[in-house]
Amino acid sequence: MHRPDARARIVLAVLAVLAAAAIVAFMTLGVRGNWGFVLGFRGTKVLGLILVAWSIALSTVLFQTVTGNRILTPSIMGFDALFILIRTGVTFFFGFGALALMSPKVQFGAEVLVMTGFAVFLFQWLFLRAQRSLHLMVLVGIVFGVLFRNLAGFMQRLMDPVQFQTLQDMFFASFSRIDPTLLGVSTVIVGAASLVTWRIAHSFDVLMLGREQAISLGVPYRRRVATILAIVAVLVSVATALVGPVTFFGLLVVSLAHVLCGSGRHRHVLPAAVLLGIICLVGGQTLLERVFAFDTALSIIIEFLGGLVFILLLVRGAAR
Amino acid sequence: MRLVLAIAVTALLAVISLFVGVTEITPADLLAGRIDDRQWQVLMAARVPRTLALILAGCATAVAGLVMQIIVRNRFVEPSTAGTVEAAGLGLLVVTLFAPGMPLMGKMLVAAAFALAGTALFLRILRMVPLRDVLMVPLIGIMLGGVIGAGTTFFAYRFDLLPSLGAWSMGDFSGILRGRYELLWIGGALTLAAYAAADRLTVAGMGKDFTTNLGLGYRPTMALALVIVALVSAVVLVSVGMIPFLGLIVPNIVSLIVGDNMRRAVPWVAVSGAGFVLACDIVGRTIRAPYEIPISTTLGVVGSVIFLFLLLRTRHHAPA
Amino acid sequence: MKRSALGVIAAFSMTAAAPLWAAPVTIAHQQGEVTLPKAPQSVVVLDWANVDTLDALGVPIAGVPGSNVPDYLSKFAGDDYAKLGSLQEPDVEGIAALNPDLVIVAARSRRSQPQLNGIVPTVDMSIDNADFIASVKANILEYGEIFGRGDRAREMVADLDAKVERLRAAAQGKGTAMTLVTSGNKLGVYGAESRTSWLQREVGFPTVTNAVDDRSDRGDAASFEFILEANPDWLFVVDRDAGVGQESGEAARALLDNELVRQTSAWTKDQVVYLDPQRAYVVMNGYQALSDLLDQVHDAVSDKG
Repeated sequence: MHRPDARARIVLAVLAVLAAAAIVAFMTLGVRGNWGFVLGFRGTKVLGLILVAWSIALSTVLFQTVTGNRILTPSIMGFDALFILIRTGVTFFFGFGALALMSPKVQFGAEVLVMTGFAVFLFQWLFLRAQRSLHLMVLVGIVFGVLFRNLAGFMQRLMDPVQFQTLQDMFFASFSRIDPTLLGVSTVIVGAASLVTWRIAHSFDVLMLGREQAISLGVPYRRRVATILAIVAVLVSVATALVGPVTFFGLLVVSLAHVLCGSGRHRHVLPAAVLLGIICLVGGQTLLERVFAFDTALSIIIEFLGGLVFILLLVRGAAR
Repeated sequence: MRLVLAIAVTALLAVISLFVGVTEITPADLLAGRIDDRQWQVLMAARVPRTLALILAGCATAVAGLVMQIIVRNRFVEPSTAGTVEAAGLGLLVVTLFAPGMPLMGKMLVAAAFALAGTALFLRILRMVPLRDVLMVPLIGIMLGGVIGAGTTFFAYRFDLLPSLGAWSMGDFSGILRGRYELLWIGGALTLAAYAAADRLTVAGMGKDFTTNLGLGYRPTMALALVIVALVSAVVLVSVGMIPFLGLIVPNIVSLIVGDNMRRAVPWVAVSGAGFVLACDIVGRTIRAPYEIPISTTLGVVGSVIFLFLLLRTRHHAPA
Repeated sequence: MKRSALGVIAAFSMTAAAPLWAAPVTIAHQQGEVTLPKAPQSVVVLDWANVDTLDALGVPIAGVPGSNVPDYLSKFAGDDYAKLGSLQEPDVEGIAALNPDLVIVAARSRRSQPQLNGIVPTVDMSIDNADFIASVKANILEYGEIFGRGDRAREMVADLDAKVERLRAAAQGKGTAMTLVTSGNKLGVYGAESRTSWLQREVGFPTVTNAVDDRSDRGDAASFEFILEANPDWLFVVDRDAGVGQESGEAARALLDNELVRQTSAWTKDQVVYLDPQRAYVVMNGYQALSDLLDQVHDAVSDKG
């Protein structure tokens, strides 16, 4: 029993209490009318928010494990822009009719598959081809994100208006507009991805040590990295499909988790990041919806804070 | 002599730009004097101004990028990766909120003041950071831009101005006519100013001590550079909207061709910037003729691809 | 209709079964059909155009959206009406607490139909832009059926028909028309599939161009040259910024007042009509809005003997 362990446990306990408090507050504040209905309705909302917090926190931590640093996140590397591009592309090339015939779940599944294949290919190429500097990777990721967004915009200009309308909302994140029809399938997908994560979790701390170390300790490096990138792609797809692109949310919660836990071990950082994500999203929505009566501004506030954290991390030199 | 060739190519593009559009005007007819009054008027009221606006905006934006790169001594900055453009946008939003009736010149000056403040803030942050890596600088700039942008979005959202914000920031030359682009001549004048001050700017880029030892005023030179960058950003934003990436890719490509001497580089950068914008706008005018695709979309795609190429071209190693 | 977890909960929360003597009402709508146990008494409408139509029918409305209230429907901003969220994000809890017999969604709120339908019967009454006036009339008649106001509905439809006919007659031989939308300092062109298509299709203004489609709110980006070249006899202008609560229509006028547009037949004959932005852009398929627009265009057209 070392001291860092003890500290991390205390932190986790406190975070768990706060997260639970946020959920209870979200579920019970300002209820009008039928309690049974409201609890059920808010329950699905909370489930959606928890799913998003879970997906973003997990994908961010895993991504940072693979890339071996604390400043890269899938969103900063353009993952969610890629998902938007794929969604636009599917609509563009296969037409609206084909999509309307498919159920949204099938379509969503297809998009996640394409996204995963593409993301794994792209990032394998980026990471495994040469030892590149970290800043270069971040910048490349940001520019990729811009490129994906612009390509999606370009396609949208060539589409017919009906298709365009359905895709237009995708560029803006909103935490209060989670589509309940996707919750079931998202839960299954995230569950499966989390299961795979669990199976290989023992090697995460080793992977953090870097490529040579990991290989000498018997980790099948390339295959493991590919698996993790696939999991990340799946999780990002789910989160983006549910709420839209949120660039800095992952960075915000994972950085906070590192600071609070004071240890880099996955067994601490992962749950802490997830709990912080829940506190941020559920607590933030509660404050905004019930206290300030703003509607969709949470994503903007998170971007603002996350951007500041990012600059701070750069300035403090976390990006080594 | 290569410069003559570049000028010739740009001139050719400018000529093409004169003859691309909805109204049918052919060079042969023009030379043979076979054009009627209406064609002549379209030429003088729309085509010529548009071509001039493209040239001026292209020159000014590219040179502003170069000036910024010289004084920050970093290859990867430009007004849109330093928070300058976003700050100008915030200024424009503030004017729209508090003084919607203000004449264009006033709006431009307010935007320029904000752009100046934003750039100064960026330089201030850079001074606080131990810069171990050249790519840190654009990263910090992009994030600063993101944070300012989030603030702008937040206020635009609160006051129901999001559509207008989208309309300003979309770089687009389709509305340019005689009498509606003249502010851009300020940009042209600033390009000349940058050329005149090229050597002083280069010296100032070497640092304060170096400049003072040579007996040159460091502060006035830096102030001049900042004014050039801020004014150009504001003028272009107010006249046509944002033109992404141009100030970054053009100087970089030029430095591959002619090296790093600023006095030599300025004409090259100006000519190539103009040529590049002309080419993108001609493409945007032809793909969906008679309708147009805004330049921010075409340039966003082409520009981000070139930027990626520039980034990945060199095997940039992390400093130990 | 799949029964989601929500639906089950909602079913528990629903009040007792409908009385036996009421005849069930079945409503066909854009996303399926809904059967009500009896004619609805309390209605929530999450779309201003449909608020407009029902208001004209004399149907009492229990709840409306809380944002973007058009000026001419400002009475609905009062406290007598429940405010149930924005167009994109209805306040589901508020609707459930109110527990109306029927919720009507359309256009921007149509995406919430599946979710709301799990709680209270919800119909999507969006109209088909390509067959605009016919859709509006079909909706009016359908509402007449549902709310037992068939006479008033037929009266309204006859009134619309008369106005369309009157305008068609007035527009005969008056030349071509083009619809523009202005936003910021940019132009968009609305075409034959857009929200203003009725000017061409049903009123019979010949269009100047066939290949336009409607890019949702901006129209297709176009240059002033394009207008000059198309040379319409009539320009119908929607000032988008004014339509969403910005500056007055002056902006659009200033934008168009340039030497190229001044050459067009529309400008020289003073046949540029600035459509009422709210009615043309936000609530164009409401009965009163459409009726007013038909009047506005008719007044403009018949001025030009």
